[in-house]
Amino acid sequence: MYAVETTQLTKYYGKTRGIVEVSMAVREGEVFGFIGPNGAGKTTTIRLLLNLLKPSSGEAKLFGKKIPLSGGKLYRRVGYVPSEVNYYPEMTGRELIEYARGFYTVSNNQWIEELVDRLQFDPDKKIRTYSHGNLKKLGIIQALLHKPQLLILDEPGTGLDPLIRMEMFKILEELNRFGVTVFFSTHILEEVERVCHRIAMIKEGSMTYVGPVDELPGRDLRVVILKFADREASEVALGKLGQAEEISSRPGYYRVLSSLPVNELVARLARFNLDHLRITDPSLEEIFFDLYEPSAKGGQKNND
Amino acid sequence: MNHLPKEVKKIMINGNISRTEIGLNRRSLLIWTLVLVFVILIYLGSFAFMGNLDFVEMIEGFPDELIAGLGMSPAMFGDVNLYHGGMVMLYGLLLASIYAMMLAGGMISRDVDLGTVEFLYTRPLSRTVIMLSKVFSFLVMIIFLWITAYLVSAAMGMFWVAPGEYDLDAQFMVHLMGFLACLAAGGIAFAFAPLINRVQGSTSLAIGLGFFFFILNSVASMYEQLEFLRFLSIHYYADLSGAAGGNPFLTGMIVLPVIFIAGVVAGTVLLNRKEFPA
Repeated sequence: MYAVETTQLTKYYGKTRGIVEVSMAVREGEVFGFIGPNGAGKTTTIRLLLNLLKPSSGEAKLFGKKIPLSGGKLYRRVGYVPSEVNYYPEMTGRELIEYARGFYTVSNNQWIEELVDRLQFDPDKKIRTYSHGNLKKLGIIQALLHKPQLLILDEPGTGLDPLIRMEMFKILEELNRFGVTVFFSTHILEEVERVCHRIAMIKEGSMTYVGPVDELPGRDLRVVILKFADREASEVALGKLGQAEEISSRPGYYRVLSSLPVNELVARLARFNLDHLRITDPSLEEIFFDLYEPSAKGGQKNND
Repeated sequence: MNHLPKEVKKIMINGNISRTEIGLNRRSLLIWTLVLVFVILIYLGSFAFMGNLDFVEMIEGFPDELIAGLGMSPAMFGDVNLYHGGMVMLYGLLLASIYAMMLAGGMISRDVDLGTVEFLYTRPLSRTVIMLSKVFSFLVMIIFLWITAYLVSAAMGMFWVAPGEYDLDAQFMVHLMGFLACLAAGGIAFAFAPLINRVQGSTSLAIGLGFFFFILNSVASMYEQLEFLRFLSIHYYADLSGAAGGNPFLTGMIVLPVIFIAGVVAGTVLLNRKEFPA
């Protein structure tokens, strides 16, 4: 059974596009990254899954049950962290945690205290005094306190300092080892590369890719950073390597995105007199920007 | 609770929400209760002054339409029960009905305004349960307001202003009708609240509607041609003067709770249809 499933899910706000025919299926126990730039439709998709919005057409399911769910009881199995965390300003963090806890049967405090401790959260202050990062921590705690089977997180890392963000992902990975499905949206691609089994990329409301991170189109490209000893030779050479541009902050240095096989690439580079050479795999971010270039073609690629 | 049928369970309230709503609104409840108590203390405490002959003669000199529009009659100033029910609580009801609408509207609008929709509306509850839980806390708070008003009025009337004359039964009916009118006001606010995304908006609507009902009733009392307008005002159905005179308006006793229930039902339907974009 899929933890999350959408079929041709479409949402228009009047005439404004939200998402268009988004189809994906997140397996139980999977860590699934949902990536795209701001305004691509990530939050709209999540809000449709949580029944905060109604679809214009298509359908969404959680654990095989079509949304809207009768009585909402299935949401006992779901924990949600919104991108913008807002709570009642006059409550303390602890009061909010107790309020959230009251909706579930959480028998002991140990897990909650562990979360508070690991995220270095002070629960005894008024919510209105919390920084953005502390609000995010509170959002994570209230989403995890009932040990849900599905975690839906909208930009969970935003606002957290790097150490706490790392700790949060450690917690998510631990939960995932116990079978918790994690569905999270982000535009921080480093997070996706580190924890996701599969990803979906959304662009202007439509899916452009669903599948494993490693099989993402463009993953077989190589990024070559080089500097020619003989500058005049560079123009001829670059054309033989791939798509190249000079690095503006480092005159004389070029960045080449090459689709040549490694041996072929090395053989061609060996013909030139170089001052500097570095060959790396492209980061997800580089692929992401490549896919999101205005000239890049839309249309969903499903490598599922 | 396991023995309850499924249909009943589905529309049950959630104590967690109700308790929290009371907690979130307790400060405003105390402030408005104190305001109402203050109005009762000042106006009811002025009964001896209002009842003197010079003042009554002055009132009798006013045009009949104006006296009716202000909710007064010369007889009021000689009878503590008519005075309290027909005049003091008329203004008390104006305040209490505004508060009831602010409270009910704010309970629903606040979650959208603060952004707590994403917290509350993603819990394992239906929106109907969320609405009914909030309605329950509204009921508790309005009952508290009117019980306090009744006890303060009774204490003042019986032990200070008019010992031996203050009629507890008639005043109970006055306060009961006031309470029912506040329920109706709250029902109207619950019906509108899902359409309003800001607490400021629901507060403005509450103040506007509160004065609208009051003025409508006054205008309808002043001009015979406009008498039909009183049917649109909760003050007409509350008929506090009638209740104070030992003759409560039975139709009003039915109409006011019906308005409340209809408002809650309409609000629940709208809330179930409402979308919460980012």
